[in-house]
Amino acid sequence: MDRTTASQGNPAAGAARGGLFARHGSALLLLAVIVLACAAPFLISNYRIFQLTLAFGYAVALLGLNMLTGYNGQISLGHGAFFAIGAYVTAVLIDKAGMHYALTIPIAGVVCLAVGFLFGLPALRLEGLYLALATFALGLAVPQLLKYKYIEEWTGGVQGIVLIKPNAPFGLPLNPDQWLYFVSLFVMLVMFWAGYNILRGRVGRAMVAIRDHHTAAETMGINTALYKSLTFGVSALYTGVAGALSAIAIQFVAPDSFNIFLSISFLVGVVVGGLASIGGAVFGALFIVFIPNIAEGISKAAPWAIYGVMLILCMYVLPTGVMGLARIGMYRLRARRLRGKRA
Amino acid sequence: MDAFLQQVVAGLATGGIYASVALALVMIYQATEHVNFAQGEMAMFSTYIAWSLVNAGLPYWVAFVATLAFSFVAGVLVERLIVRPVEDAPVLTVVVVFIGLLVFFNSLAGWIFSYLIKPFPSPFPVTPLKVGSVVLSMHSIGSIAVTLVVLTLLFLFFRYTSLGLAMRAAAQNPVSSRLVGIRVGWMLALGWGLAGAVGAVAGMMVAPVVFLEPNMMSGILLYAFAAALLGGITSPGGAVVGGFTVGVLENLIGTYVPFVGNELKLTVALVIIIGVLVVRPSGFFGQVIVKRV
Amino acid sequence: MSALLTVSGLEAAYGLTKALHGIAFEVAQGGITALLGANGAGKTTALRAVCGMVKTAGSISFAGQAIAGRATEDIVRLGIAHVVEGRGTFVNLTVEENLLLGAYTRRGAAEITQSLERVYGYFPVLKQRRRQQAGTLSGGEQQMLAVSRALMLRPKLLLLDEPSFGLAPLIVGEIFDIMRAINRESGVSILLVEQNAALALELADHAYLLETGRTVMSGSAAEFRANDAIRRSYLGY
Repeated sequence: MDRTTASQGNPAAGAARGGLFARHGSALLLLAVIVLACAAPFLISNYRIFQLTLAFGYAVALLGLNMLTGYNGQISLGHGAFFAIGAYVTAVLIDKAGMHYALTIPIAGVVCLAVGFLFGLPALRLEGLYLALATFALGLAVPQLLKYKYIEEWTGGVQGIVLIKPNAPFGLPLNPDQWLYFVSLFVMLVMFWAGYNILRGRVGRAMVAIRDHHTAAETMGINTALYKSLTFGVSALYTGVAGALSAIAIQFVAPDSFNIFLSISFLVGVVVGGLASIGGAVFGALFIVFIPNIAEGISKAAPWAIYGVMLILCMYVLPTGVMGLARIGMYRLRARRLRGKRA
Repeated sequence: MDAFLQQVVAGLATGGIYASVALALVMIYQATEHVNFAQGEMAMFSTYIAWSLVNAGLPYWVAFVATLAFSFVAGVLVERLIVRPVEDAPVLTVVVVFIGLLVFFNSLAGWIFSYLIKPFPSPFPVTPLKVGSVVLSMHSIGSIAVTLVVLTLLFLFFRYTSLGLAMRAAAQNPVSSRLVGIRVGWMLALGWGLAGAVGAVAGMMVAPVVFLEPNMMSGILLYAFAAALLGGITSPGGAVVGGFTVGVLENLIGTYVPFVGNELKLTVALVIIIGVLVVRPSGFFGQVIVKRV
Repeated sequence: MSALLTVSGLEAAYGLTKALHGIAFEVAQGGITALLGANGAGKTTALRAVCGMVKTAGSISFAGQAIAGRATEDIVRLGIAHVVEGRGTFVNLTVEENLLLGAYTRRGAAEITQSLERVYGYFPVLKQRRRQQAGTLSGGEQQMLAVSRALMLRPKLLLLDEPSFGLAPLIVGEIFDIMRAINRESGVSILLVEQNAALALELADHAYLLETGRTVMSGSAAEFRANDAIRRSYLGY
């Protein structure tokens, strides 16, 4: 009944249909992957550990962006701004206030929640294209804002802030890279678990209803304004937490790393991984961490050429991203199994 | 007073650039209700083509015209091959495709021409013009002149030629246009071609000042957005007025408002954009659009 | 005399909803044919089908050529002008620009100017308002403009969709008189869709009755006028 409206040409909608991962087989698969992830840092090089740590952070950011764009239909081309805010809040608190890094993560999240919610209020009046424009402008303006001389005292201006990599606590037998890996993995799992519950419940359905038919959602009694602003806020919170994680992992924040291309990377990750898909965030994160790694060998510009082509190609061929493809595969498998049973 | 006049003239020069890019944006928006996020990068890429031609020994104005032709064809091809298949797709799809184009052109330029900053020649004399005690850059004046010539030619084309009329009709009412035999698809492609050429002019006029590098146009694109929105995204005249206004405003605010200075220029654009979108989305000269359920 | 336009087995659908279930009708060379029927009978869809504005199955033949499935722009160039329901005026362009667009596919500035003058002769009010924005015209004037723009094409076949809709009787009378004159003087064939059956049967020489996407009756206008059932249901007396 709602399938036709929900999936009419909307690249995000097709993916939201699935309920497949709620079956036992999928839960076992998930458990296996988590066990593998816990074993990994003892088997691979420090550099790879660092890359995966970054990927975990990006996965959280992508889930945040996906909530806003994939599930709620609000296009943001400026999420790098929230990533930057999260990163700088963490950096400033550690550097200037001597705060313990673990404490900075939730604080960064809350600050971004507030900023995101406030930004979401005027953004309410902006539909699709105009919101994209406004967030694009935000994304472009961030590096300049971070270099602003009147806040240089705190932000460190163009040079940014340098942090020290923390050691594992309680004398655990882990090197700093391995410790940060587990911290990020833990935060990512917590955030994903929370996200899963939000998106699968009433809230998630309301978000999708607003995306697919705004006016109808209003008439059904959904307070669209509140939901949209809240979604913005929560999405910013996720991205801010991701920014905090990345600041701690990289031990360095500087304005030019938070330019428009960061925001565009997030878009690439979400599109490739799959709009309106929780699992897609992980795929997308791995994509945006490892493609530059591989492609930079060809040329400095190569990763971005690939991103550009992927963005366009995905819209033509794979509108539901990699996860969508996986889902279609699962559908076909199940259909075959069912047919087999009946015969 | 002299400094003020100099800032105004400089502002008009950059304003002309903004006006050109804003006009390109509006031309495409009018016909398709889509904003071409890649307009700046396409203009930048065209400017690199011009640079290559000049480097190969062609005289400046020959390279200029050849670049216009190249940009026109490129615009038509992009519309026919990349944009047309997603014409009727939802907004998110189209925005993603445009961002993809932006990224692709940016990286293509970086790949082929490297990220090193290059100087770009100006066809205008270097010695500045002295009017009384006011010193005006010849490039600024020349820039304004070229912009005005291009804008006037476009105006005449759309107002007084049959093809221009057909393009206006196709943008406003595709159904009725088909009924009088206009090939609406090709009119759209032509619109993209013209937008590409106009963007190239903007790129070639600004490159001598900001130097040629792949990220040259991003700030300009932002200001062009601000200009188009300010003037009304459905109004070509508004885009032009908006462009010159934003150019002058940017310079005056940058010079005379102390806490903004030169460092927060992009934030000024951001504020204008959000301000217009929230307070008066149809801009000064645009039409108010009523949304049907 | 062979028909100018022959339609048979015409089906049409909007998405999944079928609007025409295989209708058939003809317009004679130099003749005036009316499609009658209530709201939703499929009359407008039939016209749109002829112009390629909607997905169709079946055969449509114009001046001996099969035109089903071709693009609107190409069909128009064969000499079919369509005045749509609601007029389809280019509201932001001037009256004269609208008219000149009607002649977009024609060559020869002199002939186009001639056509322009002829059209101004039929509807002097358009000449008065030639530089005005078309959207500022009254309903009747816009209808005149729409018909004139169609005539600027120098069509062999003119499709009229609900020309009387929302117009005062006096204006409607004027327009219909001019339609009659054009048909007689220039031999332009006309396919007319009208809810106002009495008006339509006065102008037309042949008529078809459509009901929910099917042709239920066909005959000369005189036969229609004499038919009791038609008189009671559609002519109101």
